[in-house]
Amino acid sequence: MTEVVVIPMEHGLLLAAILFLIGLLGVMVRRNILLILMSLEIMLSACGLAFIVVGAHWGQADGQIMFMLILAIAAAEVSVGLGMLLQVHIRIGTLDIDLASRMRG
Amino acid sequence: MSNDAIFALLPLITLSTVILALMLLIAFRRNLALTCGAAVSGCILTLCSIFLVNNTGVPQQVTPLLVVDGYALIFSAMIVMVTGFICVLAYEYYKCRGEQQDEFYLLLLLSCLGGMTLAHSTHFASLILGLELLGVALYGLIAFPSRGRLSLEAGLKYLILSGVSSAFILFGVALLYASFGSLSFSALSAAASAGTNPLFVLVGTGLIFAGVSFKLSLVPFHMWTPDVYQGAPAPTTAFLTTASKGSIFAVILRFFISLDGYQYTTILEGLFWIALASILFGNLLALMQTNLKRLLANSSIAHLGYLLVAFLAASYVGGKALAVEAVIFFLLAYFLTSLGVFGVITLMSTDPDSPDNDELPQYQGLFWRRPIMAMFFSAMLLSLAGIPLTAGFVGKFYILTAAVQAELWVLLGAVVIGSGIGLFYYLRIIFVMTEQPSANDEITMPVVGGWAMATLTLIMLTLGIYPSPIINWVSEIARLMT
Repeated sequence: MTEVVVIPMEHGLLLAAILFLIGLLGVMVRRNILLILMSLEIMLSACGLAFIVVGAHWGQADGQIMFMLILAIAAAEVSVGLGMLLQVHIRIGTLDIDLASRMRG
Repeated sequence: MSNDAIFALLPLITLSTVILALMLLIAFRRNLALTCGAAVSGCILTLCSIFLVNNTGVPQQVTPLLVVDGYALIFSAMIVMVTGFICVLAYEYYKCRGEQQDEFYLLLLLSCLGGMTLAHSTHFASLILGLELLGVALYGLIAFPSRGRLSLEAGLKYLILSGVSSAFILFGVALLYASFGSLSFSALSAAASAGTNPLFVLVGTGLIFAGVSFKLSLVPFHMWTPDVYQGAPAPTTAFLTTASKGSIFAVILRFFISLDGYQYTTILEGLFWIALASILFGNLLALMQTNLKRLLANSSIAHLGYLLVAFLAASYVGGKALAVEAVIFFLLAYFLTSLGVFGVITLMSTDPDSPDNDELPQYQGLFWRRPIMAMFFSAMLLSLAGIPLTAGFVGKFYILTAAVQAELWVLLGAVVIGSGIGLFYYLRIIFVMTEQPSANDEITMPVVGGWAMATLTLIMLTLGIYPSPIINWVSEIARLMT
């Protein structure tokens, strides 16, 4: 007999929220553009996890479909981001966002 | 899908086809004039299809994702119109900036498609899809001219902040999904009255609004705005400030009305402070700017604050139709005016080796050097300030009416004070233009762009002097919407 363990939705959402906050903290604290993009990925993945948890709770496929949508979105965002990162590296010669930033504000 | 449904999607299908055709065209033959012509005719074709659909099969729900109604169609028409004008204005801007500029039009139309999707969407999946289509194409548009360092920096800043705000919106949607068990807007209204977890709804809606405030550059999420506006090429800034913000506002208004979010006083209170702060800070920050793009960035923060007043006015019983009407008309006026202002900056920036001509001293004596262009510019600035006989006046009048009806006295006061401050810095630009020119440098004014500006000014003045046909149309849409 295998015992089915049901994880409550709240626990899953809490985990997603913690991941989301870690990502947000990373975006705010990190100064390296590459690491900022990685933190952004963590935030988006946390959203994906939240959708999967909620979808499982309602027994619907919608959550997983949203997860796939998020994967595609994250890939698109990051590919454009990496393109710009290369340009910054070539033209400005640093990946530090504070050094690269010339406009105030 | 039935034939009717496919017919109702005609505008979206037309624009998608145009984009594919444009991509093939660029692959086979690079010619900026040809690409621009194709893009503009694509916009006109889409506009025609919007009116065709508007005259026959509305409103219609097409799949759970999209609804085709008057509200979606008028916003689509506005977005496509803006895109068409930008295509024309950008032609000479990119023509003097060398080869390989054709992709600008491709990205612009893709972004426009994203905006139209947002205007149609009644489901969170299509909302996210539209938002990202709009956003990802915009990153490319902002960082477009590969020479400029400022535009690269602006693009990167916008990418990171826009990504963060998308993540906020997504997490908020996940929480709403957790409490309602469905991703469609219509389920929100049905289930909202039943016993749902109020905490999830509150936090979820709050997160969505935080994300949207980033994209609409409302205080306290406005820090990126001046930098991105300054760094982005002028045609892109025109799109960013009009179509991008307008379509996001359109979908969020539809979402909030579906959610019946006006029953959550906590959210309304938060929005009240955001509106108040945006109006005051936006106008005060604009006072100190000598860079036109940064000034307009701050003035756009204030304008979105005015718009939020109308949004809040819908919270009162019977005020919804008037509020929706006010939002549509104000946005229409704001679209035309901002487009005109950034259009002038675009046309002024024909020097390929320098960034855009956006410093205030560069406009000194424009009335002597380029009288017609200065007249267009002044008309647009007066409309932004809300002087009578311009479209901006009618738009602001709408906001004030909605605020009075909803008895939002504090916000009403803020709008009046904000407009007063606004008048000061808009008039300052006009005064600088009337001064004697310091250097007698001749500016060559593009012909095609000049005609586009003339058309824009004409439409703007017509809306200001004789707005009733549009008002009738808009109020009909607002009545059906609520």
